[in-house]
Amino acid sequence: MTSLTLHQVSVSLGHGDARTPVLRGVDATCRPGVLTALVGPSGSGKSTLLAVAGALLRPDGGQVLLGDSDLASLNDGERAKVRRERIGYMFQSGNLLGGLTTVEQLLAAASIAGRPARRLRAAAETALDEVGLGHRLRHRADQLSGGERQRVALARALFLEPDLLLIDEPTAAVDREQAGTLTELIAHKARERGCVALVATHDPVVVDAAEATVSM
Amino acid sequence: MYLALLELKAARGRFLLMGCVVLLVAALVGIVSGFTTGLGDDTVSALRRLPATHLAFSPDAKSDQFARSLVPAETLAGWQQRPGVQATPLGVTITRGTTDRHAEVDLAAFGVEPGSFLDPGVEDGQRLGGDGQLVISRKLAEEGVAIGDTLTVDRLGIALKVTGITGRASYGHVPAGYVTTGTWQAIRFTTPGASAPAAGLPQQYSAIALRAASGADLAAGDRELGTRTVATTDAYAAAPGYTGERVTMTSIQFFLYLIAPLVVGAFFGVWTVQRQPELALLRAMGASRRRLLGHTLVQAAAVVLGGTLAGAALASAVGLLVGTEVPFSLPGLALTATMATVALAALAGAALTLRRVATADPMTMLGAGR
Repeated sequence: MTSLTLHQVSVSLGHGDARTPVLRGVDATCRPGVLTALVGPSGSGKSTLLAVAGALLRPDGGQVLLGDSDLASLNDGERAKVRRERIGYMFQSGNLLGGLTTVEQLLAAASIAGRPARRLRAAAETALDEVGLGHRLRHRADQLSGGERQRVALARALFLEPDLLLIDEPTAAVDREQAGTLTELIAHKARERGCVALVATHDPVVVDAAEATVSM
Repeated sequence: MYLALLELKAARGRFLLMGCVVLLVAALVGIVSGFTTGLGDDTVSALRRLPATHLAFSPDAKSDQFARSLVPAETLAGWQQRPGVQATPLGVTITRGTTDRHAEVDLAAFGVEPGSFLDPGVEDGQRLGGDGQLVISRKLAEEGVAIGDTLTVDRLGIALKVTGITGRASYGHVPAGYVTTGTWQAIRFTTPGASAPAAGLPQQYSAIALRAASGADLAAGDRELGTRTVATTDAYAAAPGYTGERVTMTSIQFFLYLIAPLVVGAFFGVWTVQRQPELALLRAMGASRRRLLGHTLVQAAAVVLGGTLAGAALASAVGLLVGTEVPFSLPGLALTATMATVALAALAGAALTLRRVATADPMTMLGAGR
């Protein structure tokens, strides 16, 4: 079981004189199998922290330890490798690739990770069934509701069994009832898979469901 | 590769549309190429058939030499005595005539010495034997002239007996016919409506055809004999309309080669801009820049090669449809070279958009970089 530890992480964004510190010496630990909520007011650096934790952004200082690997010390190519092999993402919007069916969304992720996508079709169908989309296997993104699109994104993020599941405002585009169902599903999957699940959110439904919190 | 194919399938309408544009550009290039070659053949194929390395013209004929140049028999004799050179006279005149079966035809009369290296030989009938005989090119036979016909040169009344048929050859879009130099001089120097000059016909020719051994000093021959010698291939420009046609058709081809990359580049440029959010998502999911570039190239190659192959088939079909009715020639090698150029130009256009693919920013998925 792998945990995520951030130690004295600092990040500044922008260029030249406009460069602004966004994270200053942040420390945080996220345990595996636990849904951790990342909370804080707008502009507090939640998305930046997710980007650093998810190897999308290299911090200016500090350590980002995913298990024994320090993501802060990796170059661009190495971080891309970590992203495709060890991290699952679920973004606030724009999660799905246009024109592809729900099954193909998962197979695309497998293809990027260098897995034999054609042979994983049955596994992809099972993964979609597990998030309640067994009846939507041939549907494209534009044929799904907001909640269904988020569940496809969750299935895709978990499909390759990542060590780290990073989620940005998962309930922003769904109603309260769907938010509850989706949060419950995320927490359940995190426990079941034993992966670190870090969710940036403003939604009290998610915060209430989380077993741990990181405040910015 | 799998992801590239998924995207191709997902956006098949757009890619098919782009493939159709490439198809049309490729077909147009192929068709223009066919006409360029066909028109070129129609203009100079009779000159191409001449087994001469060089042609010596009179020095005052700087352009349109076959019509303007006249070289006297003494100069021919001088060239025939030069070491390392075989020389034989050549006359070229465009005229027209009517057969005794009332077929009206244009004729590019090539005056040659029977038995000389310019003697065209025959595929059917008898070789050129003497004055008053005519060996016609296959193209003239297709226009209704047959062995045994008598063709009378219009307004001059000179009768030519068709004795044989040789391969396809034409000059200035006019089918070639081969006569003796004596007959050619009669056609060239007789004034319509007048009787033959009492002093006989001028012993002059359009040019002297040379077969020069390597190392033969042609420049010295020119200085000594007062001629202007050019390589036979350079003499094509002297054929009527040849240069103008080549420039026109080549210009059209050139612009089509420019259009191909611009159209494909514009398509992939717009496609890449539209796909920026998806490219950012793919980058966030761990797709390397190299992989995304590879995907784009695979997609471009599929569209460009598919469109080019279909365009080549369409151009070939057009060639088959027009048959021999119009001057169209698109041999396999020319078609391959043309289509390869279109494909490379189009792929170069697609490559112009690669920078945008490589710079897709995964951070935009989180909005943290904004």
